[in-house]
Amino acid sequence: MKRLSNSLMPPLQPVLKKIGWALLAVSLLGFIDAAYLSAKFYLGETPTCFLLKGCDVVTTSSYSSVAGVPIALFGALFYLAVFVLSLAFLDRRAPKLLKWIGAISVPGFLFTLYLVYLQFFVLHALCIYCMFSALTSTTVFVLALIGMRLLRRTQVNAV
Amino acid sequence: MESNEISAKSIAMWVGAALLITIVLVGVVKFAGSKEGTPGENPIVAGLVPVSEKDWVRGASTGVATLIEYSDFQCPACASYYPLVERIVSDYSDSVRFVYRHFPLGQHAQARGAASAAEAAGRQGKFWEMYRLLFEGQSEWAGNPTAEKTFESYASQLNLNMEKYRADVTLSEVQDIIQTQYEGGIKANVNATPTFFLNGRKLQNPAGYEAFKQLIDAALATSS
Repeated sequence: MKRLSNSLMPPLQPVLKKIGWALLAVSLLGFIDAAYLSAKFYLGETPTCFLLKGCDVVTTSSYSSVAGVPIALFGALFYLAVFVLSLAFLDRRAPKLLKWIGAISVPGFLFTLYLVYLQFFVLHALCIYCMFSALTSTTVFVLALIGMRLLRRTQVNAV
Repeated sequence: MESNEISAKSIAMWVGAALLITIVLVGVVKFAGSKEGTPGENPIVAGLVPVSEKDWVRGASTGVATLIEYSDFQCPACASYYPLVERIVSDYSDSVRFVYRHFPLGQHAQARGAASAAEAAGRQGKFWEMYRLLFEGQSEWAGNPTAEKTFESYASQLNLNMEKYRADVTLSEVQDIIQTQYEGGIKANVNATPTFFLNGRKLQNPAGYEAFKQLIDAALATSS
């Protein structure tokens, strides 16, 4: 179908488009990671305890689930939401979609800080999958922040 | 104002993304559930310390098959293997000799204390009784700074002489036994717990009782 109303959908700024793709990629990586941890949880498997690694401590600790639901599943849903929103943003080019990503990435980032704090100061054990997720959620937060700043600037310019 | 037209490009994008997510989900579940390793292919581990009278041994005295476990009382995976091992030991009581060796990992703050408790109980003839209580009660004491108190309650539950128990727990001899077994594990390239050796060959941890049974049966078939 040919697009008639091009003026209603202005082309995205190249930088914003790049940010959209980056958000898409990072959220997919985070999703794979969190889905893997969730699958492990529901398969009822206990990770083998490794020398110099604390994945067993972290993923079997009382902090690893809330009312029987693994934290990783919340993570997977978060990344899936970011993924869908970035896709929608790239497709529809509506600034509000990027703002939504920004809005959900704030609690996501705060929760990440809490989980990293737990690993370092409460459990004294680090889990590589959890730290990878911390990295991806921080990246989502930073990208969303940059994207929103760029949006604001273009909107100001437009007025 | 948004355009409600649907271009071929955006359909392709969404269908592609939905496919991608589906593939990822299937792949992740498959990968998470996959069991590595084939039985019987592993070489004899040269660095493995031979079974001696210093070891805690259960089951057949002149075992056709010897199963050595390097384990850590605070390791969740070890606790989940504990009932499997119990079943193996009772089902193969006349053909399998089971040896338990300490391999307390650094990230498990109470693992050495638990190993000491088992050794101290062993000095009063109740190593295996304490071993059971420690694994069965792991969630009560793991990660708990006052785990020593829980171990003492186990000791009194086993009617141990508490004065002797308290003295033995801190004994340097007991610490040496644990350290020697740990170092033996390092020599045998143990880097995770539980690690099982069957007739000197390192096992890929079996996925369940049936898989464990198959490994034992295979070892018994080749050695008889």
